[in-house]
Amino acid sequence: MNKEYDAIVIGAGHAGIEAAYALAKLGKNTLLTSMSLDSIGFMACNPNVGGSAKGHLVKEIDALGGLMGEIADLATIQIRMLNLSNGPAVHSLRAQVDKNLYHRKMKERLENTENLTILQSEVANIIIDANIACGVITAMGDKYKANVVILATGVYLNAKIITGEYSKLSGPNGFYRSEILGNNLKSIGLPIRRFKTGTPPRVMGSTVDFAKMTVQNGDNDRLSFSIITDFDVRNDMLCYLTYTNEDTHKIILSNLDKAPLYNGAIEGTGPRYCPSIEDKVVRFKDKSRHQLFIEPEGAETNEMYVQGLSTSLPYYIQEEILATIPGLENAKITRYGYAIEYDCIDPQALLPTLETKTVKGLFCCGQINGSSGYEEAAAQGLIAGINACQYVDKKEPFVLKRDEAYIGVLIDDLVTNGTNEPYRMMTSRAEYRLSLRQDNVYFRLSDLGKKTGLTDSFRYEKYLQKKSEIEALEKVAITKINPSCITELFKECNENLPKNSISIKDLFKRPGINAQALSKYIPELSKFAPDVLHHYEVETKYEGYLSRQTRDVKAMEKMENYLLPPEIDYLSLHGLRIEARQKLEKVRPRTLAQASRISGVTPADINVLIVFLKRK
Amino acid sequence: MNKNTDTIMACATPLNAIGAIGIIRISGGESHPLLAKIFKPYKEQKDCHALMQLGEITTKNFKDKCFAVKFYAPNSYTGEDMAEIQFHGGVAIARGVLRSLSLLGCRIAEPGEFTKRSFLNNKLTLNEAEGIADIINAQSESHAMQAYRMLSGEFSKIVHDACKLLLDAIASVDVILDYPEETSIEDFDKIIVNLKSIEAQFIKILDSSANRRYIEYGINVVIAGMPNTGKSSLLNAIIKDERAIVTEIPGTTRDILKESIEIDGVRINFIDTAGIHDSSDVIEQIGIDRALVAIKSADIVLVLTDLSESPSNLEKHLLKELPIEKTIKVGNKSDIKRFNKKTDINVSAKTGCGIDELIICIFKKLQLTTDVGYITRERHLELVTSALQSIRIVLTTYTIASPDIIAEELKEAYRCLTEITGENATESVIDKIFSTFCVGK
Repeated sequence: MNKEYDAIVIGAGHAGIEAAYALAKLGKNTLLTSMSLDSIGFMACNPNVGGSAKGHLVKEIDALGGLMGEIADLATIQIRMLNLSNGPAVHSLRAQVDKNLYHRKMKERLENTENLTILQSEVANIIIDANIACGVITAMGDKYKANVVILATGVYLNAKIITGEYSKLSGPNGFYRSEILGNNLKSIGLPIRRFKTGTPPRVMGSTVDFAKMTVQNGDNDRLSFSIITDFDVRNDMLCYLTYTNEDTHKIILSNLDKAPLYNGAIEGTGPRYCPSIEDKVVRFKDKSRHQLFIEPEGAETNEMYVQGLSTSLPYYIQEEILATIPGLENAKITRYGYAIEYDCIDPQALLPTLETKTVKGLFCCGQINGSSGYEEAAAQGLIAGINACQYVDKKEPFVLKRDEAYIGVLIDDLVTNGTNEPYRMMTSRAEYRLSLRQDNVYFRLSDLGKKTGLTDSFRYEKYLQKKSEIEALEKVAITKINPSCITELFKECNENLPKNSISIKDLFKRPGINAQALSKYIPELSKFAPDVLHHYEVETKYEGYLSRQTRDVKAMEKMENYLLPPEIDYLSLHGLRIEARQKLEKVRPRTLAQASRISGVTPADINVLIVFLKRK
Repeated sequence: MNKNTDTIMACATPLNAIGAIGIIRISGGESHPLLAKIFKPYKEQKDCHALMQLGEITTKNFKDKCFAVKFYAPNSYTGEDMAEIQFHGGVAIARGVLRSLSLLGCRIAEPGEFTKRSFLNNKLTLNEAEGIADIINAQSESHAMQAYRMLSGEFSKIVHDACKLLLDAIASVDVILDYPEETSIEDFDKIIVNLKSIEAQFIKILDSSANRRYIEYGINVVIAGMPNTGKSSLLNAIIKDERAIVTEIPGTTRDILKESIEIDGVRINFIDTAGIHDSSDVIEQIGIDRALVAIKSADIVLVLTDLSESPSNLEKHLLKELPIEKTIKVGNKSDIKRFNKKTDINVSAKTGCGIDELIICIFKKLQLTTDVGYITRERHLELVTSALQSIRIVLTTYTIASPDIIAEELKEAYRCLTEITGENATESVIDKIFSTFCVGK
């Protein structure tokens, strides 16, 4: 049997899937291993894909030819655009997804992907020769050779599940954990750390009194993640909103001694953005209630996810808590909430390609890098996959810049400044937030995706089609309109009627006038699709801000393009402050711009560095 | 603000030293248009590497004949369009030009910034780069020190308070954008109230900022003292000092009570308190009263005492009445000193001894900074001005602008201020969100 591959991906979660799919699509003979094939694309926590900033990530993955958006569309049961009232930069798509269907569709897709072999097996070690990764050994002792190895082990390394006084050495949801590999990674010099995250209880829907809760419907608009999705996604399932109350909080506060988070049983660092309910109650004592969303786990199950109630309190306290919440008084728990601790690495040990600095040909992606979330994992998987391919082909690294994509922000944040808690993507992290929108995602990334080869011609054609529609609209927008013909429009939008004729573009610029209203009154616009009009409207209304950001980006361009030679010995670099030397030595930035973003490295340090480089 | 391509300037000759000529360099895309705004006649000639012309420079306060040299990218030190203005030596003119350019949007360069641009544009040769690291370090160290010094006192308090309020505002807006389902702007009115208070504070800073106010209106120095303590001689000695430029202000030059000179770019109006030495039969109290009226509007009072004469009661009374923070006790006639008196500084108007120190003493008393400090301070004021602009945009548009835009302007303001305080803007916002709001599923 042939046990030689171009690439081996360890772990078939959201990161591993994208990495393996990208490699296979790019023609690399790829092996994807998982300890259980029943956990391929398993959504261990919340039953949704997307959301604020995460929706952007999924769209970016789609533009670059990744899988997540396509499969999410197939498994969606409710879809909404969040943030509609907060400005187009932050419009974020979020889908409730049937978890089991997502897993099945994903597995089916991977099974039918050329060049891709799937194997249920526990990898025990990475074969490294002269600091170059060249294969893996399974726990059973089997050897597989490869030119490149990708670690996408998620939260499985030395994982431990904790609920109250009970703890078990186990992966999430009863899946096996990985023991041998985690320990071996330490021995190859990767800096291992311990992080923690958690999940809420699930309840049986038939025992929930929905009448006491607020219904949340999907949006009426036709929405989907992928540009190639040509069907209406399923959008008929409901979510519900309810709240905790003072009684709930009393129970939690009087049982804090039983909370592993507070009695010392948990040593890992948990995320601030995904706090357990005990954390919320302790830290925000003045809040009399916290909201809880009750969301379906799928279309063919009656289990519901209690979003907002992540906890590791003992099982009987979880029951007491539910009994205080309107609508959940009699709810039967199907799966108890738990906290999970796991080993991950310090991402500062990685290059922006996600290759480790110490072992060539070894890449890491997903939660092993200290991130959190399906979307963050998938985004890294995609980038690791593309770069692994570039590595095998001895081609230039593929690194997205902070002004090109949230993916660029995500990876740059991780590898440049590391993270002290599981890292979640937030729009606040993007300094070019107005430029990184969902509506321009294909304009930002399709060409780059085509260059890597992952964005296939079918997808690219779709983009070109959009592009030509926009160009057509730009031409139409030059047309001058006599205001007297559209007095109704001005009345409806509460805008002052201009004296002279006005171009359609200038109409778009007016704050009170939106694309929808315009297309109603100007027949030339009615032939354009809503997303085309929306994109044009945003670009026009935000023109000033966008050109300012473009200018800012231009200003950084030279620094971004300046590659730092990998052999610099920062520690002995004359003229640099000691702190700067140490930080630079640890991060070993790829570009001058990345160096300037390291916290603790000052502009003066950068100037010294520049001079040094020139002197060399 | 664009740190690598916006237009920057620096005085290439030392700001506080005396030389025959002073040179100001400007680099960046806007350098030629900027030059055109202050230098006439401005000529354009594209087919050359550099162009030198004689003309006249016009600033708010003066005109001066000077040379201007235009360098065309990439044939310049930095590789960008550059301009050089060569004028008659003297800090007053240099500062005037820097200030005019600053008002037109030109930014004062950071240490080593010209060199950095030069490097980024592949203009720096190996030899030129030698040793520059040390210079950058030395310069930025003194910058850091100055910046630190500057950040004590009222200015720093206002900036820090504004940072805090802005951070609250940004976090309140950003948390909605990142957690749309869990939050809504609860108290936008409070944000607006806070922004208005920042606006008022900033306007106050910009109006009352020591440098800016003194540069704009000059310093009023009242010379008080008994007859024959040497007030006029002192004034003459200061005027003769080679650092001083006697300015001709119509209507005041022949006013015997007031002489104006300019030192280090700052006009100093010396005002003689005629009342005290009017005549010896005036009773003490009246003399002091008159002096007090004069010093009310004064920034500094020099109380002159004759070191060759025994202390007088009038002097003692006068000193008791004066606010200590603007009083400098000056002993004159140190060349023929006979008595030991408690003074802040001793001079000899006759020999000129101690005059320089006296000027420095006045500047120190007003916390007026010179050279590097001056530049850092100007940069800070520029940043406060930009922050104020963004805050005003929010105040005028918040009812119609969407939160993502409001956040953008707030962050721009915050970024400007963190450039003064040296914090990391993005990290602070995220920390603030998590410490203030209960969010997360």
